[in-house]
Amino acid sequence: MTEKALEVDNVSGGYGDLKVVKEISLDVYEGSANGVTGRNGVGKTTFLKLICGALPLLGGHVRLSGRIINRLPSHSLFQLGISYAPQESIVFDGLTVQENLTLHYSSSNLDRYTYVFKRFPRLKDRLQQKAGTLSGGEKKLLSFSRAVSEPTKLVILDEPTEGVQSDNIILMAQVINEEKVKGRSFLIVDQNITFLEAFSDRVHLFDHGEQTYHTDGPNFRNDIEKRILI
Amino acid sequence: MEAFATFLLNFVYVSAILALVALGLAMVFGLLGVMNMAHGEFVMLGAYSAYVVQTAQISFFWAIPLAIFVSAILGFLIEWSVIRHLYNRTFDTLLATWGLAILIRKGVEVVFTRDYKSVNQVVPGTVEIFGVNYPAYRLILISIIIGIFVVLLLWYQRSKVGLRVRAMVQNPGLAAAIGIDIAILSRVTFVIGVSTAGLAGALLAPLVRVEPYIGLDYLLSSFFILVVGGLGSIEGLLIGSTIIGGTDAVISTIFDKTAGYMSVLIISILFLWLRPDGIFYRR
Amino acid sequence: MAFSIVVKLSLLSLLIAFPFVTNSYSAYQLGLYLLYGIVGQGIALCWGKGGFLPLGQALFFGIGAYISGLMLQNDVGWGLVIVTLFLAIVIPFLLAGVVGVLVFNRQIGSGPYFSLITLALALVGFQLANSQVWLTGGFNGLTGINGLPNIDSFGSLYFVIVGALVLTTIILSKIMGSPFGLLLEAVRENEERLQFLGNNTSWIKAAAFAVSGGIAGLAGAFFAPHQGIVTPQVLGFILSAELVIWTAVGGRFGLLGPVIGAVLIGFLASGLRDAFVYWEVIVAFVFILVVLRLPGGIGGIGVHLSRKIGLNFHSYGEISERSRSVPEVDKIITRELKFEEVTITRGSVVILDKLSFKIEGLGIQCLIGPNGAGKTSALNALTGKLEVDSGEISWCGRSLNNVRPFQTLSLGIGRKFQVPSIFPNLTIRQNIDLSLWVNRLKRNQLLSMVPYTWKSDLLEKLEEVFPFISDKSLIAGSLSVGERQMLDFTMTVLSEPSLVLLDEPCAGLSKAETETMIKAIADLSKSSKSMFIIVEHDMQVVELLSDNVLVMHQGKLIAQGSLAEIRSNKDVQRVYAGGTK
Repeated sequence: MTEKALEVDNVSGGYGDLKVVKEISLDVYEGSANGVTGRNGVGKTTFLKLICGALPLLGGHVRLSGRIINRLPSHSLFQLGISYAPQESIVFDGLTVQENLTLHYSSSNLDRYTYVFKRFPRLKDRLQQKAGTLSGGEKKLLSFSRAVSEPTKLVILDEPTEGVQSDNIILMAQVINEEKVKGRSFLIVDQNITFLEAFSDRVHLFDHGEQTYHTDGPNFRNDIEKRILI
Repeated sequence: MEAFATFLLNFVYVSAILALVALGLAMVFGLLGVMNMAHGEFVMLGAYSAYVVQTAQISFFWAIPLAIFVSAILGFLIEWSVIRHLYNRTFDTLLATWGLAILIRKGVEVVFTRDYKSVNQVVPGTVEIFGVNYPAYRLILISIIIGIFVVLLLWYQRSKVGLRVRAMVQNPGLAAAIGIDIAILSRVTFVIGVSTAGLAGALLAPLVRVEPYIGLDYLLSSFFILVVGGLGSIEGLLIGSTIIGGTDAVISTIFDKTAGYMSVLIISILFLWLRPDGIFYRR
Repeated sequence: MAFSIVVKLSLLSLLIAFPFVTNSYSAYQLGLYLLYGIVGQGIALCWGKGGFLPLGQALFFGIGAYISGLMLQNDVGWGLVIVTLFLAIVIPFLLAGVVGVLVFNRQIGSGPYFSLITLALALVGFQLANSQVWLTGGFNGLTGINGLPNIDSFGSLYFVIVGALVLTTIILSKIMGSPFGLLLEAVRENEERLQFLGNNTSWIKAAAFAVSGGIAGLAGAFFAPHQGIVTPQVLGFILSAELVIWTAVGGRFGLLGPVIGAVLIGFLASGLRDAFVYWEVIVAFVFILVVLRLPGGIGGIGVHLSRKIGLNFHSYGEISERSRSVPEVDKIITRELKFEEVTITRGSVVILDKLSFKIEGLGIQCLIGPNGAGKTSALNALTGKLEVDSGEISWCGRSLNNVRPFQTLSLGIGRKFQVPSIFPNLTIRQNIDLSLWVNRLKRNQLLSMVPYTWKSDLLEKLEEVFPFISDKSLIAGSLSVGERQMLDFTMTVLSEPSLVLLDEPCAGLSKAETETMIKAIADLSKSSKSMFIIVEHDMQVVELLSDNVLVMHQGKLIAQGSLAEIRSNKDVQRVYAGGTK
């Protein structure tokens, strides 16, 4: 029986007392990947922010490997083993690509990024460039590479493929699958269902701040699409 | 030619002094959003440190660590008790620190009285430079200040801590997400900022009269420099200092001190108008 | 209200009785602090009501004192005294007004800058008073100042001062209770929202500051005959700082507080200050405590206690009956909104990319699109919150390119933001009054009580749809989130703008509340002559409300048409399904 890496238990919250997320629960097992999808404005990003401590919970609990983490300050989550790549303001624009990748480690060594650079050589080319000058897709690649290369057991990504070229999206999915084999877990919000299908063991559909549907992978496109009305 | 050389030296000197005094406020206000109305009081405390050292008949050199120590302790206490709840709430920090400024001033008044004290010149005499005789202490100050800024620039741009501070200022949410302890970093930045003000006060002590109310002028000139030069960059700070210093120097020489002061006021209002996005725009 | 008058009259009787209960010398000393209290009332107007803090108020006090001192060094009759009083009020009034206009120009929240500028001005004034010996007597000041004609400075001048205090209290009370006073308070509560209700908030703040300057000048005018000498200390920093401390500790939210503060801390403590060396340190501590924990000061404690025993202070405006219909507002005839190749770039990010579309006529347009499409930015651009780099935005033929937010309502554009933006510490009634006044409140009605009596048919209709807004005395901040959305919506449409911009009006609403809101918008759209543009993510809302849909993506318009047309549009489907298949 695999352990649960992340247990989200009836969390609610939002902005001020505007309750955007209403009692959502889900579990992420070790070595698994969960996808979260849905239209815009349904609360997916807010949900991730609540888990990562960027917003205060109005109700519910979050457990990381059994330990309650929702009352801890947000910066301690990295120490506990959670990587987080937000949806907006995803890199430090004023710092170089290299600085973005190394500032939170004591050494400026880039060894941990060797295999990421093999997949995304463009990043290596741009090491001395200020991150703010990268295109939107390149910023997402930078943010993805940074998060995935961290020594953590749970990686949380918010819309990692927004603006990214399709070739790179395929590579990103490959990286995620390789990391899963190593025992790492993923919780990923994205609106690209093809991408989610490539690695998700389970997918959750959100609407109006609630979880309206979930199913196990890997083939869930039709199920999901017919439930997302344009 | 001589007059020009003297003017140039004075210009550099005044700008350097202003930049050093404003540096602390640039860090605390520019990086942390704390409008520290007690900024001038830390300078004042630094000056009194020099006076205390002199009274104790110890070498002037010890004024510097004493000033930094006093400012750091006081800064730590203030940050821990009041400031840390008020980051980026500019008006609230203005009120709270204004009250603290009054407290510090009154405290100093009680201990030292309002009498003007003076600190003896530790390096008297002049040196010949560019064909003129210029006070030696001023030249030393200019060199020290240049040194401080070079070190600071290098540190801010190259060191890990400087990197993390820059990251925290640009994007606090992301900084927390990658594990940077913003609370501690802010505290460190605040303490360093006020210590810089204390250091400036100690260095300036032999040149100014030392009394509890000298802080106001330093607060105002630092603030105006930040208005003109913008928040969040060392280049801006230096540009602001030269503009303010230059204006004051020129106008005061032609007219008088009050006119110099008023021209500084007018320039800052002008810069306020020139920045329609607001002066609190950060890069 | 009646209770407040009782309190004021009792204090007035105490003041009048004071010289008889003690002696005329004590009364003489008290008089000085009553003058300071008057200056404090002006500070309370700016700080307590308006939310901006002048740190150099002694400047205006001192100017009044010097003017009066100069005049009274000679033997003058009452005619010239009246002229002097007039100048002592008007000159600081104008100076403060000009400074206010210059400093508050354009910017929301220029608070710290304003405070420091006033501080710098006071220091400049102090320096000038010291250096311009020919005018001010320099360091030694003006001496040999006579009292007012036939009024003994040590005797009856006290009663003149009390009279001045009564006068300023009455005038400031009237101002604070008037529509102008409410506008000033609203500036403090939510300046941006007030701009989007059509008010030039810079002028409101500058006007309040000017009034405070005039009041300080009046007090200064009595200082000269009272003391017989005017020195530069009268405009200096130390007095300015003390005035703020007295006002804060006494209570900045009312008119009695500043006087109480000046009297308790300034007057009664002047003996303590000499006897006890740490007194001023203690005062500084008390100030910090007040600022951090007890913002209402002593006055605030008084109000809190009287509420506990059941006495409430209601302003006249809150309790007056709605009896008159609102004045008619001019309506625009043609409704056409046009975006022509509007481009906005910030840094390397293209926010709007040659955005072009045209909307005409009445009805509800829904603006949809993925995150980052630029929907809110388009609204920001057309309401002056985002500067346009190139291209043209026009509404009914008028260019909106350089419009400033407070001007949008005079052009007939009303906007509601996604997160409910109301005035949380004001009552519901006050929130609604502010909305009713949009485009209707004339300059000459700013001090009149008539606008509080306005009612409108639309308001009555909305009260039926959202019953809770009839509860006049409820504080807006205590409403639930859904109720706040509905109040915000009400406020936006009450001014009957020709173009109503709604940003996610159903965000955060329960199912029931969403239904109510949808019905309200639909009804309003039919009965009013307005064009609605709604930004929405919730397709149910779009389905129920839209006459027309516009789809944006990455700063461009990719489709426009009915909902059915949009749904079958291939480009739209690709954008929403995301990614490659």
